[in-house]
Amino acid sequence: MFVQTLILGILVGGVYALLASGLTVIFGVMRIINIAQGAFIIMGGFITYTAWKRLGLDPLIVVVISMIAMYVIGWAIYFVAVRPVRRAPVTTSVLLTFGLAFFLEGVMGFIWGNNSVTVRPSYVDTSLHLGQFYLPQNLLYGFILAIVIMAALQLIFTRTWLGRSIRAAASSEDAARLVGVKISAVAAVTFALGAASAGAGGAIVSLMGPFVPGSQILWITRLLSIVVLGGLGSVPGAVIAALILGVGEALMSTYVSPLWSPALSIFLIFFILAVRPQGILGTKLREDVAQ
Amino acid sequence: MSAGTPGPAGPGRVTPGPVAKGSGTTTARRLSRRALLLPVGVVCILIAILPVLTGNQYYQNMVIISLVIAVGAVGLNIITGFAGYPSLAQGAFLGVGAYTAAIGSVKIGGSPFYWMVLAGIVAGFMAFLLGLLSLRTRGFSFAIITVSFLLLTRIIVQNWRGLTNGSDGITLPLPYWDRAYMNWPFHFALVALLILSLLLAWRIRRTKFGVGLIAMREDEDKAGAVGVNSPTYKLVGFVCSAVFVGMAGAVYGYYLTFVDPIGMLGLLFSVQIILAVLLGGKGTIWGPVLGAFIIEPLNEVANNQLGGGNIRLVIFGGGLVLVVLLLPQGIIPTLRKKITLYQERKHPGLTGARIELCERPMPAVRPELSPVNILEVRDLNKRFGGLQAVNGCSFGVPEGSITGLIGPNGSGKTTVFNIITGMMKADSGEVYLDGKRIDGLSPWNRAHLGLARTFQITRLFGEMTVLENLVAPLRDFSVGQLNRTAMTGAEAAKAEELLALVGMTAYRDRPCSALSYGQRKLVELAQVLALEPRVILLDEPAGGINPTLIERLGELIVELNGSGKTFLIVEHNMPFVMGLCNPIRVLARGATICEGSPEHVQQDQCVLEAYLGGDYAVEPKGEAVA
Repeated sequence: MFVQTLILGILVGGVYALLASGLTVIFGVMRIINIAQGAFIIMGGFITYTAWKRLGLDPLIVVVISMIAMYVIGWAIYFVAVRPVRRAPVTTSVLLTFGLAFFLEGVMGFIWGNNSVTVRPSYVDTSLHLGQFYLPQNLLYGFILAIVIMAALQLIFTRTWLGRSIRAAASSEDAARLVGVKISAVAAVTFALGAASAGAGGAIVSLMGPFVPGSQILWITRLLSIVVLGGLGSVPGAVIAALILGVGEALMSTYVSPLWSPALSIFLIFFILAVRPQGILGTKLREDVAQ
Repeated sequence: MSAGTPGPAGPGRVTPGPVAKGSGTTTARRLSRRALLLPVGVVCILIAILPVLTGNQYYQNMVIISLVIAVGAVGLNIITGFAGYPSLAQGAFLGVGAYTAAIGSVKIGGSPFYWMVLAGIVAGFMAFLLGLLSLRTRGFSFAIITVSFLLLTRIIVQNWRGLTNGSDGITLPLPYWDRAYMNWPFHFALVALLILSLLLAWRIRRTKFGVGLIAMREDEDKAGAVGVNSPTYKLVGFVCSAVFVGMAGAVYGYYLTFVDPIGMLGLLFSVQIILAVLLGGKGTIWGPVLGAFIIEPLNEVANNQLGGGNIRLVIFGGGLVLVVLLLPQGIIPTLRKKITLYQERKHPGLTGARIELCERPMPAVRPELSPVNILEVRDLNKRFGGLQAVNGCSFGVPEGSITGLIGPNGSGKTTVFNIITGMMKADSGEVYLDGKRIDGLSPWNRAHLGLARTFQITRLFGEMTVLENLVAPLRDFSVGQLNRTAMTGAEAAKAEELLALVGMTAYRDRPCSALSYGQRKLVELAQVLALEPRVILLDEPAGGINPTLIERLGELIVELNGSGKTFLIVEHNMPFVMGLCNPIRVLARGATICEGSPEHVQQDQCVLEAYLGGDYAVEPKGEAVA
């Protein structure tokens, strides 16, 4: 029972890791907490739903479509709404993306309605058996896909010029600009890549259970707790934190009550922000007095 | 603050500078205010007595909900507008108040109006808890913690069915009064609550408490450095922002005669409250009210004409985006700025005006070095990740001296400053002020003990005027202080004296954000002097300012030193340091490598090596030194 819960938790945690890495990368480069990331995920889920329902495509293939669609949407949102506040105080961007999240929730409600939808390809209710344990196929495929996409993103970050300029911008925007990185373009690509990762994550999320436009708030809470636990801006931290939360939620559902499992991420946020605001892997650097 | 405190400048009575040019503008603003007073007053009174004028339920309902949002917004403005903390949890306090009244009146009995007081107390207590939880958070982490708080409140209400009846909600008793007066009690109770919240906000704006909150908004670390006890201010601000909202929640719940988690703890309600504050103008007294009375009619239109639900999300979510993008200042400040610009178009600005230097006798002899260290650090260590920034640093600052702290870039000078003033915690080591160990104290407590500092890149409260910056420093903390008038006549007079001392009188009413770099340095010096410190730490006072000003600064330091202030100065301008300071401490790689008189330090082999590298041929001393 315990090991089984652990397995389920790790599978879910892998998906969380993909979702949270998008949020944390956007923060790392732009110092913006994109509260609308939860809405991006749900939007990816609805795009997957439509493609599956109308075209009969398997959600695991729709991932590509959802990613591209969300990349484009993210790019557009960046230029319309986010770019003007990039240099503004954090408060401004938090309020802006908070408003954006509800705006998108309303738009999704118009397009897809407010009744919960589920994406149910043939394998949703079946499991693979490993000895006495079982691996639900939807979670397993979602997990594998999440790992593949994260590995691809990691390759982009470490092996391409784009990735190097993103990392350069993350460590010092001014220095990156001085050595010829076009910051505005990098920021746009980062934001769009973050949205694309949410699009991919949304496709996987759509397999995991029913969702409505309002689910965005549940997801953004989860993601926030993960990035806060992992240390804002740290991708490895986010991965570790995602696994911790996935396992924690699974344990909570099994041993306490599924009703309280959403509260776990909130308690995590409280605990970490009150005790160790820099998270697990976030180091507290010299907050220079000369800002 | 006692009235007759002598200014820090013992010698040199100062001739008062010319009267600031800002006064003309102030009169004009008063006039335009008076012109507005009548129509605005009439509208307010009409709204306040609306149910007497019309029996129309639609309008009565609209005004009641507007009032609820207005009370929420005026409260939120205290923590968000004054103190700069973007709280998304305001809706939670409303819901908590409503639930307190509902549970009390159903389970125990009595009119929900009686429970209103308890609702306020419970909301205030919750705000206190949230304040405690969020003490270490700022900016986005604060926003995250508040939105989590709202969600957690909702989850608890949904799941604690024994108390709250879960998602089914609680039906309150029906009003017992005559149907003819149906909405009157709700309406007038809310009007009273709104007036009380406005009075509170108005009062706060005029006290030390309000100035402290605004200082925290502008720069919280700096506020700490000039003696503002920021955690306490934040907690009190939080409680103030929630109490009346909790009470309004009780009235609102009774008005609806039904509370449930979705209606009372919805996120959209918080969004609307924030939007009201931003739209009307955060930091102003009336802005949030104006915002609320714009938001709620929009809400009714969205509900009745446009079908509600998703359109409300689109309107208010999108509205928040638009206001942040297009009207970040809000309606009232934007209008005010337009009016001021219009009235000022004929007046030339102060840009380029000269800083007056006034003649004062210089103290003739430098005092002998005291054997007693007023400030002492022992074996400080500080590590940033892999970098040992401070490595066993120890030195003393003799009482009444002007001590110089020099060293190559990256030798740990600013970090030592940060550790001494408490803006940073050392990994190990001790700091003593006047024999008392202070390394466990908060920055404001150290400031209260007489330790003041300036910053390498000056930090002033940009939105405040020069004069307000000078009365912001606090020399102690007490609960009574919170309610003290922001600027007494005596304080203003003392601030004027300090301004005259640094020659910045003409800039008294300018916002600090409009000053040049060198001018800010002088104002910052005057600001820390307002703390009446015993030890003043200057971080690169001569950096980036012109030679005349540097000279002026040197004179000032000598003069203040003559009146008994001890200085510790970090500076790269060697002629300045060598001419001014004695003794000098040299820092390299985080440790003191040499101490002594300027002459001694200039000849020390270690110092030359640290600055110039080992293979540098030593020139005969003397030429470079002023």
